[in-house]
Amino acid sequence: MFVARHIAADHKDLIHDVSFDFHGRRMATCSSDQSVKVWDKSESGDWHCTASWKTHSGSVWRVTWAHPEFGQVLASCSFDRTAAVWEEIVGESNDKLRGQSHWVKRTTLVDSRTSVTDVKFAPKHMGLMLATCSADGIVRIYEAPDVMNLSQWSLQHEISCKLSCSCISWNPSSSRAHSPMIAVGSDDSSPNAMAKVQIFEYSENTRKYAKAETLMTVTDPVHDIAFAPNLGRSFHILAVATKDVRIFTLKPVRKELTSSGGPTKFEIHIVAQFDNHNSQVWRVSWNITGTVLASSGDDGCVRLWKANYMDNWKCTGILKGNGSPVNGNSQQGNSNPSLGSNIPNLQNSLNGSSSGRKHS
Amino acid sequence: MSGTKPDILWAPHQVDRFVVCDSELSLYHVESTVNSELKAGSLRLSEDSAATLLSINSDTPYMKCVAWYLNYDPECLLAVGQANGRVVLTSLGQDHNSKFKDLIGKEFVPKHARQCNTLAWNPLDSNWLAAGLDKHRADFSVLIWDICSKYTPDIVPMEKVRLSAGETETTLLVTKPLYELGQNDACLSLCWLPRDQKLLLAGMHRNLAIFDLRNTSQKMFVNTKAVQGVTVDPYFHDRVASFYEGQVAIWDLRKFEKPVLTLTEQPKPLTKVAWCPTRTGLLATLTRDSNIIRLYDMQHTPTPIGDETEPTIIERSVQPCDNYIASFAWHPTSQNRMIVVTPNRTMSDFTVFERISLAWSPITSLMWACGRHLYECAEEENDNSLEKDIATKMRLRALSRYGLDTEQVWRNHILAGNEDPQLKSLWYTLHFMKQYTEDMDQKSPGNKGSLVYAGIKSIVKSSLGMVESSRHNWSGLDKQSDIQNLNEERILALQLCGWIKKGTDVDVGPFLNSLVQEGEWERAAAVALFNLDIRRAIQILNEGASSEKGDLNLNVVAMALSGYTDEKNSLWREMCSTLRLQLNNPYLCVMFAFLTSETGSYDGVLYENKVAVRDRVAFACKFLSDSQLNRYIEKLTNEMKEAGNLEGILLTGLTKDGVDLMESYVDRTGDVQTASYCMLQGSPLDVLKDERVQYWIENYRNLLDAWRFWHKRAEFDIHRSKLDPSSKPLAQTAAMFPFFRKSPESKKPSAPETEADGFVLLGDTAHEQRKAAKGKTSEAEDSQPLEWTGQNLSKFEPLVQ
Repeated sequence: MFVARHIAADHKDLIHDVSFDFHGRRMATCSSDQSVKVWDKSESGDWHCTASWKTHSGSVWRVTWAHPEFGQVLASCSFDRTAAVWEEIVGESNDKLRGQSHWVKRTTLVDSRTSVTDVKFAPKHMGLMLATCSADGIVRIYEAPDVMNLSQWSLQHEISCKLSCSCISWNPSSSRAHSPMIAVGSDDSSPNAMAKVQIFEYSENTRKYAKAETLMTVTDPVHDIAFAPNLGRSFHILAVATKDVRIFTLKPVRKELTSSGGPTKFEIHIVAQFDNHNSQVWRVSWNITGTVLASSGDDGCVRLWKANYMDNWKCTGILKGNGSPVNGNSQQGNSNPSLGSNIPNLQNSLNGSSSGRKHS
Repeated sequence: MSGTKPDILWAPHQVDRFVVCDSELSLYHVESTVNSELKAGSLRLSEDSAATLLSINSDTPYMKCVAWYLNYDPECLLAVGQANGRVVLTSLGQDHNSKFKDLIGKEFVPKHARQCNTLAWNPLDSNWLAAGLDKHRADFSVLIWDICSKYTPDIVPMEKVRLSAGETETTLLVTKPLYELGQNDACLSLCWLPRDQKLLLAGMHRNLAIFDLRNTSQKMFVNTKAVQGVTVDPYFHDRVASFYEGQVAIWDLRKFEKPVLTLTEQPKPLTKVAWCPTRTGLLATLTRDSNIIRLYDMQHTPTPIGDETEPTIIERSVQPCDNYIASFAWHPTSQNRMIVVTPNRTMSDFTVFERISLAWSPITSLMWACGRHLYECAEEENDNSLEKDIATKMRLRALSRYGLDTEQVWRNHILAGNEDPQLKSLWYTLHFMKQYTEDMDQKSPGNKGSLVYAGIKSIVKSSLGMVESSRHNWSGLDKQSDIQNLNEERILALQLCGWIKKGTDVDVGPFLNSLVQEGEWERAAAVALFNLDIRRAIQILNEGASSEKGDLNLNVVAMALSGYTDEKNSLWREMCSTLRLQLNNPYLCVMFAFLTSETGSYDGVLYENKVAVRDRVAFACKFLSDSQLNRYIEKLTNEMKEAGNLEGILLTGLTKDGVDLMESYVDRTGDVQTASYCMLQGSPLDVLKDERVQYWIENYRNLLDAWRFWHKRAEFDIHRSKLDPSSKPLAQTAAMFPFFRKSPESKKPSAPETEADGFVLLGDTAHEQRKAAKGKTSEAEDSQPLEWTGQNLSKFEPLVQ
């Protein structure tokens, strides 16, 4: 079903994040080499690095795009305790001639006293807002009151999560029936049984974010969290990367039934839980319709999950981190070599598919 | 290495070789099995590698520790530390012309016999070998030998020579070390510090000590229990790890007073700790009786002195095999690769994967980063082995103009790929609804037209208590059945079900013919039978059996049908009621259910879920009394709503019920495209205004935007505005210029992509757009980009004409 190809990334150290813009025509990567690279897709479908610059004075954990309505805008966050907003400068220059684009820093957000572990722009309908979270356990929500002026960001909310935060995800729903909502995950590994996923919801009345839900069943460190694109559904889907892949649905209990004014109550169900990655799961990502989830884990594999019409989630694809497919039958996920096991020789048939096409 | 627990070492230079040592030394050669079969005699190490035993050396008993000579040597020169404290040079090579030939067999003998705990070759002066020994009274415990030093001087006391009784070549004995350190102490672990070849770090009995060979009388030390397994980070030469029981201490040599970090304690005593040689900040640890290698990923360069923040550490664990692991070794050059050995000497070769980060692009390709590499993975378009995801389906359907055939509405299901029976049912329903609405409007304008779109549920309700049944003769049979007299509403219902055509004629003939033409023999036969025409049914089945793709069994069914008898207690009846459940085809099944049913109880037909809803509803309209029919329709509607089954739109029509049904359909499938187009087919305004419907439409437009289907979105908006004039009367031009900013390269007319739908994207400078966007923010009430673009349209207009 899927075929992988290699792209020469040319980062000097580990890449920590990959992010597509709204159209999937541009891509940003960030790395421990303290740089961010921007990639543009050519007409032939190849990726070309069109910008690469030093963004921080520490490992860059995450990079993310604003909706193109706000321009070509990126945000990054780093171990250096800051987050930054970048904008592409358009104009004729030598860079242009070389097919390079130029990015300038519009602002540095310095409120955190510890490593900033994630940064995400809010859904477009909320305006130009972004949220960061940091190892000191605080989620900060910033807003650019004037979308024309990317150098002015005001800190609108500070939400204390009590636990070192590792990841955040905005609920992308733009339905008027759903209030702005953000989920926060913690990778705090101290041996306590505290829930590691908290969900905060904005209240029009108090003009504040208040805790709406805590996923009590998630007590192991959480490395990534992602709301599925809502796509007109009446409920929300949340994927959590912890010691396994978990998928939750959050059904808003109808407002009439709850006391008015308070935060929305949800019926929370866990609809899938997979430990096929054997150990830690590092990332989860939804496709555009929120119908296929990709996850990566300690088994060095990327796995795809999809629900059938009965809402039974199943693994529909496995790929090794180096792009080569794994035997489709061994879905038990034991890709680690165990001695004496007679693993059929796959590589022959696979080499053709993972062609080492190079770019840039 | 007490003889039972093997250790394992990669050759520092010949990277395809490793040694396993327990009571003997075994040299293996690793081969990739990617392009070849497993050779006879090879041991599989992993999916794509295998090892072949090259040679075994059992010359050196009582081994306690082994260290591989660091310079390149074809001979595989090894230093072996023995239980009696002697260090022996030995080899596993076959090349007897080696320049190291003379060294092999050489022994370095301490003054007093005690266990040799550790060996370390100097990385710069390759002839220096440090040996750490147990304590012996006030003797030295760290001896540094020069392996090239001259043979035993003659002054060696005779007792020393006697020690090596049995040795034939006493000339190979060396008893004079280059340096003697650590007096009156024990040495448990050693490593040379790369920053200076004269600095040696040693884990002594109760402290870590740094010996400077330029001044052996002085040493720097720190008291600690963590004295085992000292090892220097190959990437940060000031970072050192050592351990004690279950705890690993990380030291910064620049502030040696205390560990900069202690890692979370493990429940069992550690046996080995090693930095990954190919990747910064990755420390592997192993405890006793464990099948897990625990990894500590120190994601950051050691912090400068004075900085209080702790480095970010991510703990991971890998389980290379099911057995306990005796020892492991990082591969010297292959990234993150290691080999492990179990107590029974099985080996396993594996790679520790980097944390993979990943992202989906809107057009169903997945990008991920693994280590320093990027991989892109796209769904193969022409692969039909698996059902496509709805994202791909919607994209393809958008390209095929799905939903936009407003004349031959049924054709939309063909545009959708003609693969989904629910979509087929939906679009036929909408087709009939449109057709009969127009029909009604012509007959009596403004009368019942809107009722058609309200679905059969409302239609049937509107005629409550007006229908009586009468007995009808079976054609070709001496039998009568109760059939409802068809009033206008029931006729309309049958028309919507597709059983009968326009007009008042209630003939199912044309419908049967079309079914026969499409080869739906069983269904056609069932419909004929439900219209009391058993001869036609039999004839259709015969036809089916003799057709090209027909099933010969249909003849048998026809035969069974022809034996029909009305006799209540006949054998035919008895056999049919039991055997019909074994029929695979639901239509064949309901035919016999119908024939064997008691008058007025048709549950066997009505609740056969595999029969299309439209056929069951048509059947119900023919045979059920008003109250029965109402109850049945009500029940079926709720079932459909719950399941989000689009066949149910026939019942609910495009009403609030229909929206409810569509909501469960969207919840189940995410198919906002069908939801939007369906509701835009003829819903009354109050339904269109339903928040949910608006939300589906918004989501679908957003998808089209993400896919850059500007033209498709324009078409959609026009289509929408026809039905819902309030949806902002969009100038057609406005729809084609969604707001987006593109760098000026796009000014050169880029070759239009397939998905960009032939529209050349008009570049606009950021400045202009910022200006344009200002118009928007002033009334930033609604963030639909189109509205403000429309306001700034004047400058675009010439371009569009």
